[in-house]
Amino acid sequence: MNFNFDLIVNSFPLLLLGAVITVKITAMSVALGIVIGLFAGIARICRVKPLRWISAVYVDFFRGTPLLVQIFLFYFAVPVITGQRIDPYVAAVGSCGINSGAYIAEIVRAGIQSIDEGQMEAGRSLGMTWTQTMRYVIVPQAMKRVIPPLGNEFIALLKDSSLVSVIGFEELTRRGQLIIAKTYASLEIWFSVAIIYLVMTLTISRFVAFLEKRYNPDDRH
Amino acid sequence: MIDIENLHKSYGDAHILKGIDLHIKEKEVVVIIGPSGSGKSTLLRCINFLEVPTEGTVAVDGILLNGETNINDVRKEVGMVFQRFNLFPHMTVLQNIMLAPMKVRHIAKEEAEETAKKLLARVGLADKADSYPPQLSGGQQQRVAIARALAMKPKVMLFDEPTSALDPEMVGEVLDVMKRLAEEGMTMVIVTHEMGFAREVGDRVLFVDGGQILEQGTPDEVFNHPKEKRTQDFLSKVL
Repeated sequence: MNFNFDLIVNSFPLLLLGAVITVKITAMSVALGIVIGLFAGIARICRVKPLRWISAVYVDFFRGTPLLVQIFLFYFAVPVITGQRIDPYVAAVGSCGINSGAYIAEIVRAGIQSIDEGQMEAGRSLGMTWTQTMRYVIVPQAMKRVIPPLGNEFIALLKDSSLVSVIGFEELTRRGQLIIAKTYASLEIWFSVAIIYLVMTLTISRFVAFLEKRYNPDDRH
Repeated sequence: MIDIENLHKSYGDAHILKGIDLHIKEKEVVVIIGPSGSGKSTLLRCINFLEVPTEGTVAVDGILLNGETNINDVRKEVGMVFQRFNLFPHMTVLQNIMLAPMKVRHIAKEEAEETAKKLLARVGLADKADSYPPQLSGGQQQRVAIARALAMKPKVMLFDEPTSALDPEMVGEVLDVMKRLAEEGMTMVIVTHEMGFAREVGDRVLFVDGGQILEQGTPDEVFNHPKEKRTQDFLSKVL
């Protein structure tokens, strides 16, 4: 077996460029996913039935179908309907973000439901509306509790973003494939790609641990 | 101040309240006693619509509570203190007290803070303004909860077993605050198991059992000369 270190060193800058794009897609998708997930998660438990229903369908669909299929739908099927080509970047962030939003909605819902019912009652008994109590009392407490599962979701999303390589988007995985197509160095390149992913996910998990500690300083460990 | 007529509450097949009629005057202190599961707390919670009655009417200060009234208009006039305090743990004591006056009554921050500090001094906790609720003892938390309810300047205060979750040595400090409130002329409805307190502070005592008001009268009438057999049985167990 030949392990070509020079090749790794030489292709590293290209791979890192891919990693930057991976981080970008992930960050944008996370932002989109949090916004969608927050609203969908709250909608899931609000009193307005149609909103609950829409949220449930959304979560079921995007959690119940493969992300890869969703990416294809977004990139290839939507243009058939609209007649407009979609930018791969929009398709990548859109499909990852909307997919992630479904998982985040469930995380948010569970976080909110884990807050003692007495908190809502206390807020309402003071004359605050449901929305005010959610905003000032329930959601801030729920957000602290959902930090660990959100961390898991971000790590999963970062890894799943490799799927957008199928629409030719040149993130880390795609760069790896392209380099291998030229060099045939599968072992070296896939090994490097894996290590770069690992460094990124470990960074996220350390960051999440830091946030957890910072926002829940009094909790038992 | 509070007018309740023919109030019924059911959860599915469970009939919790079976026709309650109750009229409470301004400045009156009404104490509700009775065994667990008798419907005392449900009755109290119907007064600010935390429980929606199945049948019958509730009016507070002349405003009839139903689907059409803005429930929040009534709730801001009715303070409530819970058995388990229900303070907001992510906010300081001061922020707990300031939140509703600022968001519901749209009072300026400086004014809300001033009022909150006065109320904290009144319940003997001026030095705890910047603490977080989990750092306080049960008795201190409950006094903050009372201050939080008072910050809305309510016309009525409801107390749902305010001392039941407290260690025995902390019961006194909470009851003292409530006693002073009663002396200052607050209209109060109190569900409690503290019979000594009921006797001392109550203008009227209601004995509730099986979802009905079985007996009511002055503390002397109910505690010393109960007419109903079930009231006698209950009192013989708790006194």
